[in-house]
Order: sequence, then structure tokens, then C-alpha cells
Amino acid sequence: MKKLLALAMILVLALGLLAGCGETANDPGTETSGGSTTEEELSVYVVVSSTFGDRSFNDSALEGANKLAEEHSNVKVNSIECNNENFDAQMQNAADNADVVVCVGWEFYNVETIAPDYPDVHWIWVDNATGAPVENVLNITYAQNEGSFLVGYIAAAMSESGVIGAIGGEDSDTINDFIVGYKQGAQYYADENNTTITVETNYTNDYDDPAKGKECALALNDLGADVIFQIASKAGDGVFEAAEERGFYAIGVDSDQKYINPEVIICSMKKEVGNSIYEAVTQLLGGDDSLWGTTWETDLASGYVGVGYGEEDAVQQVSDELKAKVDELAEQIVSGDIVVDTVR
Amino acid sequence: MIEILAQVFSAGTFTQMLRSATPVALAAMGGSMTEHAGIMNIGMDGMILMGALIGVLGSYMFGSAAAGVMAAVLFGILVGLFFALFVVKLRSDEFIIGCALNVFANGFTAYVSRSVFGFSGTSGYEIDYMQPIDIPVIGDIPFIGEILSGNTALVYITWILVLVMWAFVYRTPRGFYIRAAGEKPETLRTAGISPERMKWLASILCGMLCGLSGAYLSLGYLNGTFVEGMSASRGFIAFACVIFAAANPAKAYLAALMFGFFDAIGLRLQNYISSDLTSAIPYAITIIMMVYVVVSKERRRRSGRAAAKTSAAPPAEGAGT
Repeated sequence: MKKLLALAMILVLALGLLAGCGETANDPGTETSGGSTTEEELSVYVVVSSTFGDRSFNDSALEGANKLAEEHSNVKVNSIECNNENFDAQMQNAADNADVVVCVGWEFYNVETIAPDYPDVHWIWVDNATGAPVENVLNITYAQNEGSFLVGYIAAAMSESGVIGAIGGEDSDTINDFIVGYKQGAQYYADENNTTITVETNYTNDYDDPAKGKECALALNDLGADVIFQIASKAGDGVFEAAEERGFYAIGVDSDQKYINPEVIICSMKKEVGNSIYEAVTQLLGGDDSLWGTTWETDLASGYVGVGYGEEDAVQQVSDELKAKVDELAEQIVSGDIVVDTVR
Repeated sequence: MIEILAQVFSAGTFTQMLRSATPVALAAMGGSMTEHAGIMNIGMDGMILMGALIGVLGSYMFGSAAAGVMAAVLFGILVGLFFALFVVKLRSDEFIIGCALNVFANGFTAYVSRSVFGFSGTSGYEIDYMQPIDIPVIGDIPFIGEILSGNTALVYITWILVLVMWAFVYRTPRGFYIRAAGEKPETLRTAGISPERMKWLASILCGMLCGLSGAYLSLGYLNGTFVEGMSASRGFIAFACVIFAAANPAKAYLAALMFGFFDAIGLRLQNYISSDLTSAIPYAITIIMMVYVVVSKERRRRSGRAAAKTSAAPPAEGAGT
């Protein structure tokens, strides 16, 4: 009886694990969609460090992969959510079945040691780069500092109190790269207009707890911040709620998040994760894998980083004048007239 | 320095303390019930998570936050029954069942939330949530009013529940039976009362209170938002509160307040101390609290033994003469 019970419990645990951390097949475009059908099947695995549903970074990666599947009938997309654990095992799980493994998140450091074990698999590591180039790994990094510079400028221009805020998910290089750019952008505005802009920051230390994000935003608002940039994935949802309750502005991250709450989200710092994955795999499908073994540094110039103001019919808080000014600054960054600091 | 202190001890700190203590306190009161009944319940985190989801679902389906809270509490009964079925009826290890419940809750909530709300979660759906309540006179008092007034209903209900649960455990026969079921089940059985039945009752109460905690999290703390994994270990902090308070609901509430306080302080100290350290404060406090509990228990045991010795001494002397 006891043995049977133990077995049953193990089954329950195993089922729970499967449900929480399992693979889901997403193949919206099946045989009927366009593209050549004679090619070999290409299995793409999107492995995210946490879970989907963040409406920014992770979801954007999956959208990019799904777009591939829609356009090429031979592309099959699967996804794995790591739930912040077992990164190595999940990478191996994916590689066992995949031709292309896309690791989404700066946490997948061990791709450097695992990828050589799977020489036939094309790896893509999004948001970070291996210490030394690995032959079958393509690193894609994003100049988030450049985009953040622009939203920092917007935040400073939109602030009435002269205090703006930024909320990071945790104190890490990638997150701080946003904050450095944001601060510099705000400072640029202050210097240009002879005012002072204070940038207050704090960290949620949690990407899944919107209550934490809300508290962080309220604490910054208590310090006077009236425009707050969230860089905290799902915890950032709480920032938008706080903004609505207290009546301050918020800035979205990674995807164009304006649609979530157009009244308070004035703009978003976009990292076009999905499009960059789409672009890389499309090249691979065309038979060109020269990108692999390198680090593809996307930035404002290549258009994978930028500022989004939502759909055209959305309420706009940022004036056209300011938008034009931001475009001008973007050009200056691209041409190298403005050099944005980085912590990378 | 004064500036730092003013910032750390602002009204915002204390309102945050109240807000973030409430879900922990509700779960800790539930945990106190199972703890008294002799069940070590580490499944509270999962119970909270499910409560948060069911609260949002109920509110979405019936169009009212109150209905959402009701749904979460009713579902909590089910979860409590499920927990008791394995722990009490089938006599399996409560630790394993607690673990299983947490893991199951993760998968279950992700599955249901994605089936109902789609991949990107609850935003974009009209979900009714609890509005803050302004208390007329108290709200006008400068510092204290800011803290006490303007919270959602469940914060105030928690205060009432603390009293109710305390009275239940220590002033009613049934509360007495629950405690007996944990401490001396044989005695209770001799008195003709089934300890198993008391354990069932405790589990159900725990499920209800954890459901309420979850509903507060998604409908009171947040404005009708469910996010996967949003319980964020609050159930484990609640468990620490239970141990610290020796399962006394009133003390558990104070312990939860302390956690909320250090959480709020940590957030405000980030500008001066690394955020990695400040976020560890509540957990460091847990360890200190645990050490305190163990040490004080040990001391009480020793002084108890010493007292027993001295009280035993006189008759021995008397026997000598």
C-alpha cells in the first residue's frame, strides 16, 4: 500500500513538472502555408529562462519563431520554459530534437560548453555573448543602452517634477545597461535645457511578482518620480498599475507595450528580439550560416533597438515635436556624434 | 542620515508594510490551524497561488471582486479537502504532499490561466478588483490616517480574522480539540472525539485562509492581475511566521507585519546598500527568528526543568526529617 502510494505521489510530482515546465508545440502554419515544401524539416526550439506571458522579451522571441513557421512550412517550432531552473538540462533536451536552439535570456552561460557537444545544432543565444566565439553559436546582443538613452530623454522631457525613475528586475549587467543609457539620456536633456533631472532607481529582485513591481513604483513615486521606466518583465505589470492609481507615466520595455495601458504608458524601449531571431534563421534557411561563430551586435543603426509609441490610433502623450527631437538624437547616436555609455 | 531615516520611516513604508503583510498573515493564520492539528504544512505557497488564480477567474466570470473572493475561498475548501485526503485519510507524508501541492499549483495555474486568458495573461480583460476604502475621520489624521485609511477591504477583514481565529483557537471547544489533535491525539480519542476529524477541519480552514490570501494578492494588492508564479514564496514566509509565532494567529500577524516592514525598509535602502543584500533582509530575519525561537524554547525547557527540581526538593527534605 505504501509503495503504491509513493508511486502515485511520484506520478503526481512528475505530472506537475510536466505541466509547469513542459514543452508546447506551436505550429500555427501547417502544410497549407507558403514556402517550399520540398526542403528538409527544420526544427526550431525556443528555450526561455522563465516563462512566456511577459508580453515583452520572451513572448517576442516566440512571435519571431512563429512568424518563421508561418512563412516556411518546413519549419517546426517548439518551446521550452525553464521556470528559472535546469537551464543546462533544458538546453540539452532541446538540442536532442532540434536543428536550431534559440536560448532566450542572458542566463544561459553554459551554452558555451554545451554547444560543442552538439556540433550539428545551430545555437542562437539571445541577449548575451559567449566569452570566446563558439563555432556553432550565434550570439545576438542588443544595444539597449542606446534605446534607453532615447527613452531617458523622453522621460526627462515629460517629467514635471524633475525626478524620473527606473525599476530593474535585478542588479545585473544587462539590466544596468538599460539604466546607464536611461540616466545618460536624462542628463543629456538636463544639460541641454539647463535644468536638473534626478534619476531614482530600484530593483524588484524578482521577475514574476507584480506586487513587488508595484511597491517599487510606489516607493519611487513617493520620492517624486513621475515618469518610471520598467525593466522587470512580469513584475513590471505592477508598475503600470501603480502608474494608473497614482497618475504618473510609465515606459514599457522590450516590446511595444503601449497597448497594455495606453493612458499611462507613453512609449516603450523596443528590443526586437523576435525580428532578429527571424532574420538569423531566415539566413540559415537560405543556406548561409556565416553568422554562426560570431556575435551579432544589433543596435539603433540596424533598427533592432528603438522607441515605440504604440499603434497609430493610440492616445499619444509624447508630442510630435519631442518625437522629432528623439529621431534627431537617434541619428546622432547612429552617426557616432553621441556615444552612449555601456556597462557591458 | 536624517534624510535617509525620513525616507525609510515614511508613511509609504508603513502602508507597504500593511499591504505586503496581509497575504502572508492570512496564509500564516491558515498555517497556524494545521500546525496546531499536528500537520506540517509547506503547501501554503501553492494554495495561495491557486487562490490568486481562482479569485481572478471568479471576478472575471461573475463581474464582481466579492464573487472572486468567494470563489477563491470555496476553492480553498476543495484544496483543503484534497490536502487532508492524502495527509489524514491516506496517511502519507505531509512534507511530500506539501511539495507536491506547490508543484501542482504551478502547473495547474499556468494551464488554466493560459486556457482561459491566453498566453499573455489577464491584462486587457475587464476584471473587477477591490477598491480602496477611505475611513472618514481617521483618514484625516496626518501620518496615521495615511497608513490606516485607504486600504482594500481585505486588509481590514484580516484584522477581524486575527481576533476571530485567536478566539477560535484559544477560547472555543473546537479550537481546543484541534490543539489536542496535534498535541495528544490519544487523549482526544479517549474523550470520544476523532482527532482525524479535527485535522480535516484544520486543513479546510487552512485552505480557505490561503485562498483568501491569494484573492487578496490578485484582487486587492493588484488590480485584478494574475501572473504565473505570483505567490513568490509568500507561503514559505507564512510558514516561518507560523513557527515563529508558535501557531498563535495574533503573533503570526505580528510576525507577518515584521516581514512586511523589513521588506519595505529593504526597498528604500536600495539606494544606499546593494539591492542583492536588501532583498535578502526578510530571509535573514527568518533565520534570526528561527534561532531565537529555538534558543528561547531551549531556555524555557531548562528553566522548566530547574523549576521542577526545586519544587520536587521540599518533600525530599521533609522525608529526611
